[in-house]
Amino acid sequence: MTILTTLVIIGVVAVAIVLWSRRLAQQEEPTLRPLSGYTALKGQVGQAIESASKLHISLGRASLTGAANPTSVAALAVLERLAAEGCANDTPPITTVGDGTLLPLAENTLRRAADNAESAAGIPPGTMQFIASRTDAFAYAGGVASVIQQQKILGSVMVGHFGQELAIVTEVAGRSQVQQIIGSDDPLALAVAAPITDNFLIGEELLAAPAYLEGKPDQVASLQIQDVLRILLSLTILGLAVYRLVTG
Amino acid sequence: MFRRGLPLIIAISFGFLTLISLLFGIAEISNLILAWASFLAAVALLLGVINLFSVHAQRMAGKRPFGGHNVYSAVLVISMLVVFGLGLTDLLGMTSGSLNQVFNWVQAPLEAALASLLAFFLLLSGIRLLQRQRTLSSILFLVTAVLILISNALIVSPLLPASLAGLLQQLRDLIQNIIVSSGMRGILLGIALGAITLSIRLLLGLERPYNK
Repeated sequence: MTILTTLVIIGVVAVAIVLWSRRLAQQEEPTLRPLSGYTALKGQVGQAIESASKLHISLGRASLTGAANPTSVAALAVLERLAAEGCANDTPPITTVGDGTLLPLAENTLRRAADNAESAAGIPPGTMQFIASRTDAFAYAGGVASVIQQQKILGSVMVGHFGQELAIVTEVAGRSQVQQIIGSDDPLALAVAAPITDNFLIGEELLAAPAYLEGKPDQVASLQIQDVLRILLSLTILGLAVYRLVTG
Repeated sequence: MFRRGLPLIIAISFGFLTLISLLFGIAEISNLILAWASFLAAVALLLGVINLFSVHAQRMAGKRPFGGHNVYSAVLVISMLVVFGLGLTDLLGMTSGSLNQVFNWVQAPLEAALASLLAFFLLLSGIRLLQRQRTLSSILFLVTAVLILISNALIVSPLLPASLAGLLQQLRDLIQNIIVSSGMRGILLGIALGAITLSIRLLLGLERPYNK
């Protein structure tokens, strides 16, 4: 692919997002197809408060300086939603991270949510926890599993970059009868999540978190542009396959 | 205005600068920016280690420092201090390679042990799924998992006739190379598209995780 092609693709997508978001801003709130992961997310904080227990959210181990950066940005959008609801009821979610770069952003999200809610309790010590560096996947999984086991957790939301080590966390959470919502960009983690819970977000569904949780016109517009791109890409692949089949 | 605008300008400028330097092969700029990012990531890791130490040290400072679950915190804090101490003695030349020995003799075997348990966890999850809901997908999941596990074990067994081993090999290849690969590629393409649109939103300053 030439430089010009890359620039053209970026330019066209950027212009399409801007123009489509302007159009959406003039319309009524668009409806997005329901995703069980986000539907389940909406009731989590309320259930935790009713049962006098806590909610746990883990943001995975993708660095903000690495290639999986968008996954962590989407995971932060989920944290923002849960933190706002939790802090409004003085029960901020216990947050665990597997990369140093996520720690300041996650802590900032929690503190801002507490400030906005004028929470009297604030953010208690131990609410925000760094578990292990991203290179130690199993150490991270073991650490998150121990947090779930040791604290009175009702629900665990695992969104971000996780691999097959997720099986250890889900096993412990399953034994502790903790409700689980899982979202990852790694197909191996999704293979682990599928038999555990119905509430899982497959790859791009996780990246759609800002659109589903905030619903701003530009976020919804980029989601719809993404759908168009997916259809175009699928048709191109299918067309090429048919062409190769016919021409031999 | 200034408080919100400055981070936005910095983020967009550096985003475009990195993109242009990567596209046009100006390695000096992209390497410099990546070096800064790596330095910041290292500082963030140090903050993470301090956070880890303080969370567990505070637990130990409670009423029962070695009681109940606090014993795990105590083990973690003591281990951290020991490893830090070994790092210092290695640096001062009092010991040699002790830090590597700790990793090779403690961490590596522990991680390998956990990794080897994954197959059993997955199989157990499949059985639980079948108990929870007997749908076509849950049956397919368990049957495929059992089939792959058994075929992997039997293909290398000398007891199995060659014709049957060949058949199992073909079946395993069909599942792994066609069905699983196509599904995984579909998911990866979706992720790539999602990442592209989210990255463009970050470049345009429409998504601002650093400035909310």
